[in-house]
Amino acid sequence: MGAETTVVGKSLPLIDAREKVTGRLKYAGDLPPLHRMHYAKVLRSPYAHARIVNIDTSKAEALPGVSAVLTHKDDITGRKKTCNTPWVDPSFNFRGPMISQEVCYVGDEVAVVSAVDEDTAKQALRLIEVEYEELPAVFDLEQSMLAGAPKVRPWGPNALEPSLFRWGDVDAGFREADHIIENRITLGNQQHAPLDRNACIADWDGDKLSIWTSTQALFWIRDAVTDFFELSPNKVRVHSTPTGGSFGLWWGNNFMFLAIAVARKAKRPVRLVLTRDEVQTTVKRRERPLIDARIGIKADGTMVAQSYRHIMDNGAYGNKFDPYQSVADIYTTPHGKAEFIGVATNLLPAGCMRGVGDLTLAYAIEQTVDMAAEKINMDPVEFRLKNHWRPGDICHTSQEVLFAKLLFNREPEVALTSSGLEECIRKGAEKFGWKEKWKGWGKPSSVDGNKVRGVGLGISTHISGLAFFGFNGITIKVNPDGTMVLTTGIGRMGQGGDTTQAMVAAEVLGVELGDVNVVDGDSEVCGHTMVTFGSNGMHMVARATKAAAEDARRQILEFAAQRLEANPEDLDIRDKRIFVKGSPEVGVTLKDLMSSPIYQYLSPPEVIGRASKGVEFDKAGKMMICDYAEVEIDRRTAQLRVVKFVAYHDSGTIVNPAVCENQVAGGYCQSLGMATTEHLVFDEESGAILNPNFMDYKILGPLDMPDPEIYFEQVYDEDGPFGAKGIGEGVTCAVPVAISNAVYNAIGVRLHPPITPDKIMRALKQNPR
Amino acid sequence: MQPITLNINGEQHEVSVRPHWSLAYVIREKIGLTGTKTGCEMGTCGSCTVLLDGKPYFSCLRMAIDSSSYAITTIEGLDADGKLHPLQQAFIEDHGMQCGFCTPGMIIAAKALLDENPAPAEQEIREAIGGHLCRCGTYMRIVKSIQKGARLARGN
Repeated sequence: MGAETTVVGKSLPLIDAREKVTGRLKYAGDLPPLHRMHYAKVLRSPYAHARIVNIDTSKAEALPGVSAVLTHKDDITGRKKTCNTPWVDPSFNFRGPMISQEVCYVGDEVAVVSAVDEDTAKQALRLIEVEYEELPAVFDLEQSMLAGAPKVRPWGPNALEPSLFRWGDVDAGFREADHIIENRITLGNQQHAPLDRNACIADWDGDKLSIWTSTQALFWIRDAVTDFFELSPNKVRVHSTPTGGSFGLWWGNNFMFLAIAVARKAKRPVRLVLTRDEVQTTVKRRERPLIDARIGIKADGTMVAQSYRHIMDNGAYGNKFDPYQSVADIYTTPHGKAEFIGVATNLLPAGCMRGVGDLTLAYAIEQTVDMAAEKINMDPVEFRLKNHWRPGDICHTSQEVLFAKLLFNREPEVALTSSGLEECIRKGAEKFGWKEKWKGWGKPSSVDGNKVRGVGLGISTHISGLAFFGFNGITIKVNPDGTMVLTTGIGRMGQGGDTTQAMVAAEVLGVELGDVNVVDGDSEVCGHTMVTFGSNGMHMVARATKAAAEDARRQILEFAAQRLEANPEDLDIRDKRIFVKGSPEVGVTLKDLMSSPIYQYLSPPEVIGRASKGVEFDKAGKMMICDYAEVEIDRRTAQLRVVKFVAYHDSGTIVNPAVCENQVAGGYCQSLGMATTEHLVFDEESGAILNPNFMDYKILGPLDMPDPEIYFEQVYDEDGPFGAKGIGEGVTCAVPVAISNAVYNAIGVRLHPPITPDKIMRALKQNPR
Repeated sequence: MQPITLNINGEQHEVSVRPHWSLAYVIREKIGLTGTKTGCEMGTCGSCTVLLDGKPYFSCLRMAIDSSSYAITTIEGLDADGKLHPLQQAFIEDHGMQCGFCTPGMIIAAKALLDENPAPAEQEIREAIGGHLCRCGTYMRIVKSIQKGARLARGN
């Protein structure tokens, strides 16, 4: 365990809370206009797949107040695949060509107009005349994979090269099994649906570009812009603002390229703010999976083999080929296989959303595991306790393994650092009252007239950053009064990353949270930091923050040692004072030290701590999740409501409990939405999204569910800063399947999200009991 | 363009508006009070809530041109004297927010509630913010923050 802490572990308020409650925090859409700034609007394709035969912009250009009209004729298409790491390739989650002659989904860009105000820009869009030649489109995953299927986009195959992980001898494993359970699942199309809308201001000064945009991917955007527009990094300055939610929407998209390109043509600063309709239908969505799961068990419930084939709908421009984070390892079996295939369709591009891969695959695994336990009539809690993975187990399906193979042709062995999974399952069952509620497979936990209740659980895991996410460059500058400034490229999407990184620094340097200012979001000022994704903040980025703080601390102790005529090793800092460990009365305050001249320089000391660091290649810190749900279904109305929800999670040391509780509660809320109401509906004929707003795409509100009960199993992770692991994404991963498993036990039919009343009604008719 | 005068947070703002401009648009784009957020622009998220003569309204659904006769309060009006409103203080202390985008709308709706009902029950709080979305799913602590804000406002 770790030493006693004074800052870490406290629910200290967010450092930007005051700005948030007063409305002063500026998201990108709130920034004041620049001098001469114009406003952009985008003309979008009404067809899922078409070629632009002719486009006449003359009337739009002639409209007074219009400064530029950008079409495919301007040829802003960037270079293709020039980077040697797939992570900064603009076509990875970003898309390749933009505003091209071939449009590949309903909502694809056809033209961009900039004008003196939004009204004029909108009016100009109506004056653009476009003649399309419709091309064959494909919306179905399996059809898209067939030979002779229409080609979704002008470049690349529809189905990407499969990513394959194997261990043991999977065929032999299934031969050993007494029972083999097979299950095919698909889920709805969830939309990230943050309340904030994507916004970007682009300003060119000659060949030098500045942009202000809402993103958690400061440097990735910088690198993608330099690559796409063929600029040196010293010609591009990206300012990233906090985002009003994200859940993955604010990285891995490049809508901001439209603002950049039109601003260059207009020779003015241009602002583009997407409408709600555009946020819902043109940026990104969660991938829709088609998963075939196969699990082999012995008669006593021991899992011996598992195999998963996970096909992911990438939409028109998604390029994901590696969704596995590691959930296929959540059960330790001697034999296994996990295959993943990214497939393009002429639908809205899909890409990472909170819990990517681990949510969809956990759904398939955890439902199939329930079916396996039912087969031998074993309690699902007991089944999980028997088979779940343990610390030190190998992560066969870690993305590290895949990327090491792709980039270096090597196959590292990656081991799990720590796990509180067993305690999460056991203690969660106690808090939930599992023993009292569980009445057997497919049986309600209680019946009251027309109201039936059922219980279910799900386990999952998620990464805390990964080695191939690279380095995080952090600096800490100490002011003359002992306060300090932390620079970091961490994103601010509501996860409180700026606050918790500052808490880590404050803990190391013996100061209060309020003494640490955080500067973020400027590519010219901050050290290169990976996109804030993959729950990398508290484990991976914080390792760099802690190292930078330790570097600053070392320098402070060296200056103090001169002053106190002591050895630096004999000194400690606490409560903003440096003192000799053996004789605490001998010391100097941080303020006194940092503001007094030292003899050799005749000036006060200057301390800048710095570090550039990531996580180690062969160790994987993963958060562990066990969620229990009780649902109630009204047999007359087919309405579903959650009665009780217990989340028992291991994210290592909890650095800020209130922040973490909010993360868990939010993951529950969003994933319960996915399980019950949230689903983008694509028109089967046109491929257009029919519910592009919050009226028809139902997000859960404050009256729609009970609060979850939240518990943390704080297993100290030796590789995490102060023992911490990641949290943000994993909190979503087990919710949909816990709900789905509970629904099964309530009504005896397995349903897939979104579990809507119409599906429940049909199921009740099919199985009236 | 039609010249109008809007009374916002006790200050008179003279602006020229087009008939189709919403109050939210004018507050943000013409007056520069960007604390009022616009998430959906169709009355489904609650982020743009402001008070008109003390009553909460979605400002995206109101025309600016029809708003001259009201005393309008936006989030910027709550600490205009430099002192945080008890609700703002409570939201800070009890983590009633994550990304903060829905926060101004939630606080404005809660203020309207407390002005009518200084000691609301939990269900009354949930109903008062029932038309507001928090995509971060922070409702649990938003409700707690409003309860605490009510206590602070009552002086206990």
